[in-house]
Amino acid sequence: MDPQIMDGLDFPFCDEVVKYEKLAKIGQGTFGEVFKAKHRKNKQIVALKKVLMENEKEGFPITALREIRILQLLKHENVVNLNEICRTKANQFNRYKGSIYLVFEFCEHDLAGLLSNHNVKFSLGEIKEVMRQLLNALYYIHCNKVLHRDMKAANILITKNGVLKLADFGLARAFSISKASGSNRYTNRVVTLWYRPPELLLGERNYGPLIDLWGAGCILAEMWTRSPIMQGNTEQHQLTLITHLCGSISTEVWPDVDKLELYSKLELPKGQKRKVKERLKAYVRDQYALDLIDKLLSLDPAQRLDSDAALNHDFFWMDPMPSSLAKMLSTHNMSMFEYLAPPRRRYQQGGAQPPAQQQQQRAVASNDAAFDRVF
Amino acid sequence: MAECRSMTVARSTSRETRTHFKVITYMLESGTKLQMDSVPMATACLIYHRFFKECLLENHDPYLIASSSIYLAAKVCEQQIRLRDILNVCYRTLHTDRPPLEINDEYWELRESLANCELLMLRVLKFQIAFELPHKYLLHYLVSLKDWLSPSVWADTPIAKTAWALLRDSYHSDLCLRVKPQHLAVTVLYFSLQCNGVGVPFNDDADKQWWQVFCEDIVESKIQSIIVELINMYAMEMNV
Repeated sequence: MDPQIMDGLDFPFCDEVVKYEKLAKIGQGTFGEVFKAKHRKNKQIVALKKVLMENEKEGFPITALREIRILQLLKHENVVNLNEICRTKANQFNRYKGSIYLVFEFCEHDLAGLLSNHNVKFSLGEIKEVMRQLLNALYYIHCNKVLHRDMKAANILITKNGVLKLADFGLARAFSISKASGSNRYTNRVVTLWYRPPELLLGERNYGPLIDLWGAGCILAEMWTRSPIMQGNTEQHQLTLITHLCGSISTEVWPDVDKLELYSKLELPKGQKRKVKERLKAYVRDQYALDLIDKLLSLDPAQRLDSDAALNHDFFWMDPMPSSLAKMLSTHNMSMFEYLAPPRRRYQQGGAQPPAQQQQQRAVASNDAAFDRVF
Repeated sequence: MAECRSMTVARSTSRETRTHFKVITYMLESGTKLQMDSVPMATACLIYHRFFKECLLENHDPYLIASSSIYLAAKVCEQQIRLRDILNVCYRTLHTDRPPLEINDEYWELRESLANCELLMLRVLKFQIAFELPHKYLLHYLVSLKDWLSPSVWADTPIAKTAWALLRDSYHSDLCLRVKPQHLAVTVLYFSLQCNGVGVPFNDDADKQWWQVFCEDIVESKIQSIIVELINMYAMEMNV
């Protein structure tokens, strides 16, 4: 169709995004930019996520379609809420290709932003509350047969009332338990490198919910270290860092690991002892927290805690009990997003970002290319 | 005068219904050639009917809408099919008398119109792409019923096969828009038992009819009326 014919057409099915006024750019999502915006009439504050569609040869991006579908199916207090989808008019300035925006409820902070601000101090009860909500979200999405596949502090939003919302389902997908007739063949090029579990690094394609629990373990430790605990530059490097923390990868601790494609192809340091607790205890003073981190960072996914077992861990049931973040957050009246924060002190620079196809560039990247471990 | 107009409406509706019947046949044929599973196939038909619930047939080429529905449904159901394959197969199905599509200007134009049409459809659907289909219900009903029937009856009569075929054919009409997925599943199962002359054991003595066990809010008259619609739909096959 001649695109100019479209000009005069009325489109009742999908509102134009101009009903929102863009206030600020607050992030760079997996497939586009994110803005804070205000509804021009009812003044409601929302987050707008633009779907990048340039150079799309296969129509509407499948990742965006998955995110929309998954968010329509998932309704939970700890999962970000998708309000609606909006569009921009096609005109001569965008080569008659309008864009599509996902409109989300607005959350004031993300966890990476909060952790990078040293004025924000979490009590043990508050850390438990963050983790409890995160595991609740994972329990819910996994029950509904969805894998998040991009766990990281920047994708965990927190409202000013202290409610956690798991966000960015741009890499998420539905999964099924593989049948005897054949195993699943999902891509293993997912999850930001620093939070990527060892089985994906070794080429596993028939994976399940436990890949998200590794990330949860990394995030739990990060609540104390305040920056990602394993900041590898390459897949090989990431595996080396994992080995230094979790011990050597071998069939002794992980019976089926030799069946993974890259097990024999990559260099895996031998003779390393597992020292998760020893290395982290300088930061994490709570023995239950250390024990939970240890069990989430299990090399063998079969031995890793699932979200249900993790929620039953003593960590959540010993004093101090989980306690609301609302009071602590009310002392901070600025939004904290990783995108807007100055680079975290020991952050690796953007080059360390994973090679996965749609990974976002860290917008505020430090230029310090030297590798530095957190502890 | 009023009567006159309503008659015209009736006639034009049935012409539309016939067109949709023909286009769905084309969709199912193309989908089979593309080796689509039954759920993406049904989703494609559902998307097609949803689209024409909102938009007028006279403003859109139904075959383009049908092809885009296949493309979109395959994506939504995680059984992604390449645009190129859809284009080639649909072109062949539609133009049996022409040689296969070459990679030329026509190919690129058709490809772009399919991609653009997908976006148009997403908007018309208001991006509501989480669908509920009767398939999962029918599967559960069949599994439960299988244990209740005698094994020899189950082995000798194609109850399941007939039910699945009826469900698949039902997409030739827009029943899927008007009937709850559970109701459609119960109905095709009821109809299949009837066609195969099989009764559910002890149904007459039971406190509840078997379909009420599966779906509490359905009554027999509702099942009957859906069956009438199915029969009318089959009758239409002669007239398209």
